[in-house]
Amino acid sequence: MSENNHPNMLSHGPLLERLLAGEFVCAVSDESAFRQLQDETLREALDDYLRPLNRRLATNQDASVYFLAWRQVDDAAREQLSRQLNDTVNHLLPLLEWLQLVQEALGRDGVLAPGDVLKPGELQARSEDNPSLRERIERLATDSFFGSQSEQLDAQVKQVFKRLKEHGYLLQPHSDRQVYLVTGKIDYLIDWVRFIRDEEQLPIDREDEARQEALL
Amino acid sequence: MSQFNDAQNAPLESRLMTTGVERLALLGRHSETLMKGYVSDDVPLEGLSSNALRRLFAARIVWRPDEQGGVKLTPKMRELIAEMVADESRRQVNADVADTLEQVRTQVASYRESSQLGDYWQQEQQLLRLRQTVDDLNGRFADAIDSLWQRLNSDFGFVSRLNDKVRENERAQKQVVRLLDGLALIDFDELIDLVGNDGTLRKLLISQLQQQLSQHFTSLREVQSRLTELMARFRRMQARSRLVSGMAAFLREHPGFTPGNYARRSEVPELCNHAAPLRPAGAAALDHHQDVSLLGALLKDLPSVTRPVEATAAASPALIAESAMVAARQQALKEDVEAFYLHVVDSSANEPLSALAYLQASELTWPEEIWLFQVIAEYQGLPRQEQGAFQWLPEESPAGVYNDVRLIHDVALRFEGVA
Repeated sequence: MSENNHPNMLSHGPLLERLLAGEFVCAVSDESAFRQLQDETLREALDDYLRPLNRRLATNQDASVYFLAWRQVDDAAREQLSRQLNDTVNHLLPLLEWLQLVQEALGRDGVLAPGDVLKPGELQARSEDNPSLRERIERLATDSFFGSQSEQLDAQVKQVFKRLKEHGYLLQPHSDRQVYLVTGKIDYLIDWVRFIRDEEQLPIDREDEARQEALL
Repeated sequence: MSQFNDAQNAPLESRLMTTGVERLALLGRHSETLMKGYVSDDVPLEGLSSNALRRLFAARIVWRPDEQGGVKLTPKMRELIAEMVADESRRQVNADVADTLEQVRTQVASYRESSQLGDYWQQEQQLLRLRQTVDDLNGRFADAIDSLWQRLNSDFGFVSRLNDKVRENERAQKQVVRLLDGLALIDFDELIDLVGNDGTLRKLLISQLQQQLSQHFTSLREVQSRLTELMARFRRMQARSRLVSGMAAFLREHPGFTPGNYARRSEVPELCNHAAPLRPAGAAALDHHQDVSLLGALLKDLPSVTRPVEATAAASPALIAESAMVAARQQALKEDVEAFYLHVVDSSANEPLSALAYLQASELTWPEEIWLFQVIAEYQGLPRQEQGAFQWLPEESPAGVYNDVRLIHDVALRFEGVA
């Protein structure tokens, strides 16, 4: 058994628990666990452990997030995955609009990436004197995904951040401080977008990526 | 977005202005010292406070090619002075290496000539020029590399948009290629032939220059690989941005868009396969002897709940037992009535079945009135569609002639099946 290679399986209890709870583990959300997951023998040991639960360790293309996948996709699993897929597709537009909004409002070079620091106060300050930004936040916050009932800008921004935290896209290192970190789950979201684009052959610009591949 | 940039640029501009004025004033304040540096090899440090020298370094008016050497005018400064005093002999018309090499060849020839003629003063002057030419060449590379590093380290922060950064990066990469091409032009075999056995020239043109240029070469290679790396990152960021905005635009234009159900494929794509959450739960167990004392301790540590005294007094045990009993009887009645309904459904008889007849035929002991009440309540609790499945035949009579109150004596039911 691989457990012999990893006598410290016991110490991975908290990690297993997080994974089993459906969380995404990345370098931001749990740096030490993420580092340990780079070790192939540990990954195999975890897989062995998860086998009776019909689960296995999975990762995205860049191996920047780890999560649990069904080992055997039976009918019940397909049912659950279909529902999840449906949710993902429904949440896609509000999430993408939020990414665009943050990028523009904060004058960033690119889309948010894991490890980026976000402060709700900064977004709010930028929007206060900018009616168009203000309006976009309002529309976004009252979308059913974010579900804000408030008419106040600060409450709307707060609700948006709260929901993103619940969904694992943001991490709040100190519960008493309004500072958030972007997690690796954002990579997973982007992977999704790319996947849907390719699968459905959507007419979305892919020239740059082709050029980038050629460049590397 | 432009108003943000404008707002950010205003303080930058005024800072630039202040710094520029301050630094230009340095030229006037130290003009004599600087001109001495122009006509001779080094800038004389006598009469310069360390503070003043620091400022001259910061303004890139002077530089120090190596730790041991003296302080010199920067090539740009030399060029500026040459331009201002129209010193044609030193005016850098063309900044490329080929031209500098040509200059070196000429100066070496003049130096040799003076040496052969025994004109030591002229020879000294030529050597000085040659040294400055070599310093300038070295300085130009050092300057260019410094400027490249500055740009790299700030992630091209002097332009705000990603597309501009990509363009700046492309420009910088071209500069690196040009500088590397320039370095390749310097042929040390030719220089070795040129200097012959003159020790001074050999030191200047071979050992010193070679060491400096090889350092520049290493730096340029490093800069080049970093630029390529950064470019790949910029391109990735660009691709990500386009992907996000492209998909958002597509979804806005096609509100009803539904992708295929990837979960139904025989091979579920890796990305879709995110298993349902599973939360391990545990409860206190007493089957391990060693846990018992621990649980006991935990129990003792529980904060004691203080209940109002009245509440304890009011909760008489007899009442609780009775209400539990009532609930149990209510449940039993309900189950018996449900059994009656099932009997009606199962019965193949065409005749309606009487509720009272069923009660009497069975061994149930419910009072007739309570039994009928529950049968009616059960019927009314059914959804309308299911009510329609039963033919409902109450046996009733008016309670009196003065009002419309009716007394129900019995109810008969027949199952008609679902429509």
